[in-house]
Amino acid sequence: MTIGQLLRPHVTGFVIVAALQVAGALAGLAPLLAVAEVGRVLLAPGPVEGGHLATVVFLGAAGLLLRLLLTAASAGLGHLLDGRVQLTLRRELAAALGRAPLGWLDHRRTGELAKVVGDDVTAVHPFIAHAPGELTAAFAVPLVSLIYLLTVDWRLTLITLVPVVAAIALVPLLMTSGRTREQKAFDAALGRIADTSVEYVRGIAVVKAFGGADHAHRRFLTAADDFVDIFTRWVRGVSAVAAGMQLALSAPFVLLAVLTGGTALITSGHLAPPDLLAFLLLGLGLTAPVAALGHGFDDLQAAGRAVGRIRDVLAVEPLPEPAHPVVPDGDRLEWRGVRFAYDGREVLRGVDLTVEPGTITALTGPSGSGKSTLVRLLPRFFDPDAGSILLGGVDLRDIGGRELHRRISFVFQDVRLLRTSVADNISLAVPEADRDAVIRAAKLAHIHDRILELPRGYDTVLGEEAELSGGEAQRIALARALAARTPILVLDEATAFADPQTDRAVRRTLATLRDRTVLVIAHRPETLAGADTVVTLRDGVIVR
Amino acid sequence: MIRTLLRVLGHEYAVPMRRTVVLMVLTAVAEGLLYALLVPLLRALLGGTPADARPWLIAFAVAVAGYALLRYRSDLAGMRVGTTMLRGMYHRLGRHLARLPIAWFTGARVGEVSSMAGRGLLAAMGVAAHLMAPFVAACVTPLTIVVVITVVDWRLGLTALVAAPLVVAVHVVTARSAAAADTAHAGRADEAAARVVEFVQAQPVLRAGGRDGFEPLDRALREVERASRRRTLSVLPGAVGLAVTVQFVFTAVLALGVALAVGGGPHRTGAAAAGSDGLVTAAELLVILVLAARAADPLLSLSDIGGKLRAARGEWDRLDRLLRTAPLPEPANPVRPARHDLEFDAVTSRDGDRIVLDGVSLTVPQGRRLAVVGPSGAGKSTLLRLQARFADVDGGAIRVGGADVRDMDPADLTARIAIVFQDVYLFDATIEENVRLGRPTATDEEVRAAATAARLDEVVDRLPDGWLTIVGEGGTLLSGGERQRVSIARALLKDAPIVLLDEVTSALDPDNEAAVHAGIDRLMSGRTVIMVAHRMRTVRRADRVVFLDGGRITEQGTPDELLRLGGRYAAFSGE
Repeated sequence: MTIGQLLRPHVTGFVIVAALQVAGALAGLAPLLAVAEVGRVLLAPGPVEGGHLATVVFLGAAGLLLRLLLTAASAGLGHLLDGRVQLTLRRELAAALGRAPLGWLDHRRTGELAKVVGDDVTAVHPFIAHAPGELTAAFAVPLVSLIYLLTVDWRLTLITLVPVVAAIALVPLLMTSGRTREQKAFDAALGRIADTSVEYVRGIAVVKAFGGADHAHRRFLTAADDFVDIFTRWVRGVSAVAAGMQLALSAPFVLLAVLTGGTALITSGHLAPPDLLAFLLLGLGLTAPVAALGHGFDDLQAAGRAVGRIRDVLAVEPLPEPAHPVVPDGDRLEWRGVRFAYDGREVLRGVDLTVEPGTITALTGPSGSGKSTLVRLLPRFFDPDAGSILLGGVDLRDIGGRELHRRISFVFQDVRLLRTSVADNISLAVPEADRDAVIRAAKLAHIHDRILELPRGYDTVLGEEAELSGGEAQRIALARALAARTPILVLDEATAFADPQTDRAVRRTLATLRDRTVLVIAHRPETLAGADTVVTLRDGVIVR
Repeated sequence: MIRTLLRVLGHEYAVPMRRTVVLMVLTAVAEGLLYALLVPLLRALLGGTPADARPWLIAFAVAVAGYALLRYRSDLAGMRVGTTMLRGMYHRLGRHLARLPIAWFTGARVGEVSSMAGRGLLAAMGVAAHLMAPFVAACVTPLTIVVVITVVDWRLGLTALVAAPLVVAVHVVTARSAAAADTAHAGRADEAAARVVEFVQAQPVLRAGGRDGFEPLDRALREVERASRRRTLSVLPGAVGLAVTVQFVFTAVLALGVALAVGGGPHRTGAAAAGSDGLVTAAELLVILVLAARAADPLLSLSDIGGKLRAARGEWDRLDRLLRTAPLPEPANPVRPARHDLEFDAVTSRDGDRIVLDGVSLTVPQGRRLAVVGPSGAGKSTLLRLQARFADVDGGAIRVGGADVRDMDPADLTARIAIVFQDVYLFDATIEENVRLGRPTATDEEVRAAATAARLDEVVDRLPDGWLTIVGEGGTLLSGGERQRVSIARALLKDAPIVLLDEVTSALDPDNEAAVHAGIDRLMSGRTVIMVAHRMRTVRRADRVVFLDGGRITEQGTPDELLRLGGRYAAFSGE
């Protein structure tokens, strides 16, 4: 889904917000016009008509009240709309990340992706909450004022515009080609800070162990220093011009122009003194569009770049799902002439392998021989470059994702537990599982007793209320795979547990799962001995 | 507000910051005073004596020039202070993080720190560069203008002055409720950021689990939306209140002024006599109304600026809280022990309510090796972490060469210890840089020698860019065994007298297993060692073994003694 499609349902909202804002801003002109009218009445020769004055004052006050109500309504609605749109964007981004091929995710840093979902969506805020209303108002109100002032005196109107023209003349200085380049460098540097700080926190143990207080955070500080350098250069380029613009648009400058012109015109008899008031009051408002542009310009530019990054993530193509999913017949696994290259390095060079249902197959071989890759092709982290993998006689690419995951569960080498309750971690693949099923799986994985020792047992939130050791985390992952009750179970170096006793117990558990197909990457002689078939992989081909 | 800012910045930035604020105040006062010249100028123009206007106009032009100079300098000073501050804050943040206890760094901190380092510090800096000047101007200029009005006509001046306490009151009330909403919102945003990191890193598991959505992330995102809605609603009354106040006072001045002017008689023009009868001339009234409009404008922008300031303030408060989180205490007069005997003296350690170590006492004479064995969750890793002072003990003491680790300079303690972790974290840098972390001053030859000793050179030869291969975030490009070799090379390079080893639990392929064992042998020779061991092959290299269960030592002795004892250790070893 594109951003445009995501925003479409909210268009009516945007229009209402903008309309309210513009109406409010126009109502805000009433008190200024009232003051000008008061001046005209008071300065006019002849008796003052009290009733007329009271009406003028009343109308001015009414205009103020109207403006207040309308702008408050617009701001409130705008922000609520903003919140809703941000939620839509973030959900869609999360969904896109959840669909993206793992190969794509591998090439990105998590800090950067978190920034897209978090800060980048926030950066869109001015586009949504402010830009529609404020920009329209910033142009509509001066336009009305301008027309009114032109009817009063066209010469003084032109003089009033002098500071605005001066400010506009400075704009090109802000938008040189170098600025775009600097912007990119700025964003990149900010991204590096996010990454290094993620690293800093996650690698803190290393930082602590090897850092003297100064060397430890060198990478973080280097990234920070780079960023500040780029930022300083960036600011220095703009700040003088920006300050000049601000100055030209400031009230004293506009008043100076109006008064200089006004004095000349009044002395020469070309302007009635009361007419000067309108310029003193409304003339200042003419700077609004340029001020809004200068003021919101950086924000809008930043928002534009953020939108670009959001679009990139939304545009990631997921692995194709079959149009007509085929249900596999049985659970036999077959690799047929499978080849796969990772970053140009061929990891699998023609693998043929069949795993019969109800057997234990051990996969072994030196590191880098392609064992993990062979297994990771099963959940379609990637698709093979050549050849095919069949489950129950059907190519994996023709089986729907859901069906595939109903048949195979995995315990990977790098166990990642989620920051939720132990029970939720175990029932991840089967949310409908009841507590008994969860406990059964935990017992099979020999982690039940340890879970009971946690502060709130199965309801303990991992990573918040308790941290588990590496071996314990692995057993939770095993319980998770067992709870899924899939006919095929794939374990990647996961059978080796913290202590030999548990290791033996878990191996016994696996041996009792005779109704399931088990594929295990293993090195221990005990595990290899317990397998029905041992397959040895070397340099991407099966040697035995 | 300024006080928090100065505290976050640290003393070195206080002086330039104060100077900049003074410059901003001067600029704002100058703008207000500038408008005082409008009084004689407009009196002449509107009162029918335009010829008298010229000298005042020239005076006004000169004053504007002076104001321009001040304003330009104050704007640039704001920017300059901002960027200098930014650098200072990054360094303070980095330094402070390095001194916090490891226990502080839970999973949720990843999002907090990364968002603080990015958006947070930039927002804090933006205050000085962009918001401080408009804020000061919006407060000070209207006040100056009201003083000018009072000089012209005290009744209208006092009426306008009524706005001041009301504006302050509205501002204070809003700030309080909005600050709470802002803090809540920032907390939700951090939580969501941490959940995104988790969601991305857990993709393999989540997909294998066959799930599309991830409820904790979605909940976090919904909470962000709810918090942002609450924030909008909490700010709205303040913005409306401010506008009501300002506009009400403006209307009052307008109505009262008209009444006073009209009350002067049926036919008064600007040229008529001044208010000797307590009344206002029309020209004066109009000047005052122009001035009042000048005062109202910046006041109305105050709620907008206030909102941005509050957002930035939330960031400072978070930064302030972080900087005030107590690091592990450092001794005033650090002890430098001469020897490296290690001693645990009745050590107790807790993780929340759970007792992880319960009165553990043990000694490792200099140059000896102690193996720690036991079921997972027994407290083995905690023991190593306490020895390295990643956290402080809750009871008892840990000593190196007779000196309590709390009495040693942390840098000195760190320098004496080399650690090989079970879960090796590698930085997203070249493999060489990751090894060099062990001793940044090492020569290339020394780095190569350490790598060879850990048999890391074989791994390097296989990598596409050799030593310059970037290993990916967390070292994802390498297998578990290969990461272990990097970790050993790092420790070898460090060449410290004490070695702490947390043996990897998962099985390695035979090649890596052999390499890791050879490396560990090299690392241990001649050093004082505590190792958490899982392999009997490793345990047998220890001089003594302690069996740890439930946070207590249940058996200890030489490996052979314990085997003969036939207790838990013997059962455990499976022999």
